[in-house]
Amino acid sequence: MKNEYIPFSSQVKEIIPHTDIEYTFRMSFPEAGRVKPGQFFEVSIPKYGEAPISVSGIGEDYVDLTIRRVGRVTNKIFQHYVGNTLLMRGPYGNGFDIENFKGKEIVVVAGGTGLSPVKGIVDYFAGRPEEAVSVTLIAGFKSPQDILFRKDFEQWEKRIHVIRTVDSASEGYEGLTGMVTKYIPDLPIADPDNTVFITVGPPVMIKFTIMEILKRGIKEGNIWISHERKMCCGLGKCGHCKMNDTYVCLDGPVFNYAESRDLID
Amino acid sequence: MGYQLEKQTADEIFNCLKQDYDIFAPKLFAGEGCFSDTDVIRYGKVESLDEICWSRRSDYSFKEAFLPVNEVLFYFTEDSTSVPACRKKPALIFLWSCDLHALRRLDAIYLTNGPEDFYYKRLRENARFVLMGCEETCDTGFCVSMGTNCTEDYDLYLKVEGDSVLADLKTGEFQKYFDGKDCREQEVIPDHVTENREKVTLPRNLSTETFSDSVWESYGSRCIGCGRCNFVCPTCTCFTMQDIIYRDNENTGERRRVWASCQVDGYTDIAGGNSFRKNQGERMRFKVMHKIYDFEKRFGFPMCVGCGRCDAVCPEYISYVNIINRLAKEEA
Amino acid sequence: MGLDINTKLAKKNAYRIGKARGEGASRIRVPGGYLKAEILGMVQEIAEKYGNGIVHLTTRQGFEIEGIRLEDMDEINEMLQPIIELLDINQKEPGTGYPASGTRNISACIGNNVCPFANYNTSEFAKRIEKEIFPNDLHFKVALTGCSNDCAKVRMHDFGIIGMTMPQYDPSRCVSCQACVKGCRSLSVDALHMENYKIVRDHEKCIGCGVCITKCPTRALTRSPKKYYKLTLMGRTGKKNPRLGEDFLIWTDEDTIVKIILNTYRFVKEYIDPGAPGGKEHIGYIIDRVGFAEFKRWALEGVELLPETEIRECVYWSGIHFDR
Repeated sequence: MKNEYIPFSSQVKEIIPHTDIEYTFRMSFPEAGRVKPGQFFEVSIPKYGEAPISVSGIGEDYVDLTIRRVGRVTNKIFQHYVGNTLLMRGPYGNGFDIENFKGKEIVVVAGGTGLSPVKGIVDYFAGRPEEAVSVTLIAGFKSPQDILFRKDFEQWEKRIHVIRTVDSASEGYEGLTGMVTKYIPDLPIADPDNTVFITVGPPVMIKFTIMEILKRGIKEGNIWISHERKMCCGLGKCGHCKMNDTYVCLDGPVFNYAESRDLID
Repeated sequence: MGYQLEKQTADEIFNCLKQDYDIFAPKLFAGEGCFSDTDVIRYGKVESLDEICWSRRSDYSFKEAFLPVNEVLFYFTEDSTSVPACRKKPALIFLWSCDLHALRRLDAIYLTNGPEDFYYKRLRENARFVLMGCEETCDTGFCVSMGTNCTEDYDLYLKVEGDSVLADLKTGEFQKYFDGKDCREQEVIPDHVTENREKVTLPRNLSTETFSDSVWESYGSRCIGCGRCNFVCPTCTCFTMQDIIYRDNENTGERRRVWASCQVDGYTDIAGGNSFRKNQGERMRFKVMHKIYDFEKRFGFPMCVGCGRCDAVCPEYISYVNIINRLAKEEA
Repeated sequence: MGLDINTKLAKKNAYRIGKARGEGASRIRVPGGYLKAEILGMVQEIAEKYGNGIVHLTTRQGFEIEGIRLEDMDEINEMLQPIIELLDINQKEPGTGYPASGTRNISACIGNNVCPFANYNTSEFAKRIEKEIFPNDLHFKVALTGCSNDCAKVRMHDFGIIGMTMPQYDPSRCVSCQACVKGCRSLSVDALHMENYKIVRDHEKCIGCGVCITKCPTRALTRSPKKYYKLTLMGRTGKKNPRLGEDFLIWTDEDTIVKIILNTYRFVKEYIDPGAPGGKEHIGYIIDRVGFAEFKRWALEGVELLPETEIRECVYWSGIHFDR
């Protein structure tokens, strides 16, 4: 019988720094083909514990894990990575189903590291814009220093509609400012019934983003969200991520809003 | 197969069982209660029938006999992990009907919710259950309301009445221990209660609107978030993982899981500082709704088995029974 | 006929000589303040028959039946007999009332019969001490309290007994909830912290109050089978030098405490000022005179301390000096 708790060791192939506290770790994973955007791995350094990290990119034999240095475990990961291995379990969770978005007007609204779980989708449609009617990315960061995936943005801006905004910036900043919600009312939407929104970020951001989206006449069933909750085991056992009768680690973290709007913490 | 036998014969059988099984049963830990000169009844390995606490419901449930409070998942050195060996002998666990019903709840989480749990399964597969009857209701239990007062799912039933012992063997596994012993065949029906002092009506039309009920606020302000209700509950299964470094060799350590409580601070905290249920009212709503609503929605039967331990242990005298009945009353 | 009373004997017989001529009060000792309710009825009967119907509840947990006539002492002593017997007070001759009053009633908080914080049965231990030291004319005050909260204010007594428990920790039952750590920090002395998700207790700091044990939701922390005590010495009120009792023994046991109190009677007999008014000199002042080392030599005579007992080799009192 498989012991799901035993992690495997994975080589750090490459490190891509974004900010002082956010790096992408490119981790070797031969079975990357079965990983979906929105899924997550439990990543650990023994002795310091595990942390659930979303997949931010999927290659042939690797997965990207964008890690923000916010806790005990992630601190250690930052201190120990060089030429090293990390322990991983996963992938866990349902992930996004690309099929749900093909042939639609797609709007992705992401805040901060919330961009990681949807980055795979942006990558996919930026690479194949013809598979969607249109693709818009609204990405919000706290400040210009917090912007992630700068190189990716350069690529995306060439192929899809990108609105990159920061909550606030010092004078002289040339980019957009303001919350992500500011840009939803004026989005060009041809056919609300054929438009899907995907939103990931802090709970407060998701809440206000959905309020704006609904004002645009989008059906609840056309909104997708990914929930970030405490996840210890990733296996539906430890209980921490449960909302109502739903286990975020098993049934999520990706939810259709129509089916998950009544989930209460 | 039912038997009547002398206590002395039963003791002999027990001694034989002891050779083949680790026997866990509720027993009295004198002086180990919360307060001075008070006792606690909880599970431990027992060496004789006399050591078993038959008549008073244990303060802590049977679950710790195979869901240890602290369980090592693996030991690690710099580049390897090793899983601790399982108990050598199978376990024989004495419990009451309500608790045997709770086992089904534990199975639901550990064996059917996501992949099977390696550690639970290996202990579970090697566990056998001895039912203890209830001649009369305990103070706070409401098993009759929850339909958990009777069970057929035991391997063995035992009742000690002075010098006489009644046994019922549900599975063939234990037959060999009785064979050749001085036993009189007779029909044995386990003692069970048909009425409790506490009666509960489960609200049947709960919805997410119940989530904002003022009940939670009123009880939340009384709750101190100690988690006792979770730790004594036979159906609570939550845990948290911990990594430990051994002090005298920092390159080795262990990863373990430890019982967790949805009432205690930290349960929903995530790295970066977010926390999803901050006040005790929300936490109580989360727990109660899980016990009587959410779990059933997912698995088809309520989680709570009505053992009443949570009501008996609450230091703030918060009655879960009363909360449920209040919800049911408001619904009516 | 004139009222001819030996007031010295009357006082020794536990009567107070009042300010009203010919009147006084009958003092009833209740060790540990623990009594069957039926005794209240007996006290009532005496108060209504021989007193003015008023009973004062003393600061030492006894009764004082007010307004009795001093000539009625023999009849009152007869009526006190069932009370003395029910409370199992040592007596020389039945029907003669209390044989002494110098050694005061042993007072105690309610203890672990009721209180969740108490670490032992204060009334039982109070009764044991009463049996050992009463009757005695020497002026000794002993009080017991269940825990370090010291509700019985034992530090105002010659001998203060504070209940302690040595926390027993089973890490395999600990869920790292930190209820004990928080409880110790907010209610006690902050002697606990977490290391590697488990509790570490600073034994130097720990006062054995037991708060951590009552906070523990899993019985990872339990009480030691052995009950421990802190013995404080020579607290007192008074005109000259009121002072708080100081710690002498920490983590000691009942037998040791009883022996030390009995030894102290011998010490006082040896060193009491023969000219002390009414044969009454506070022990603290005797120790001030002869030195703590000498007292300790007497107190520890024949005493074998537990290995875990901490002893204060030198004890100094401060308090308020009105006499300098």
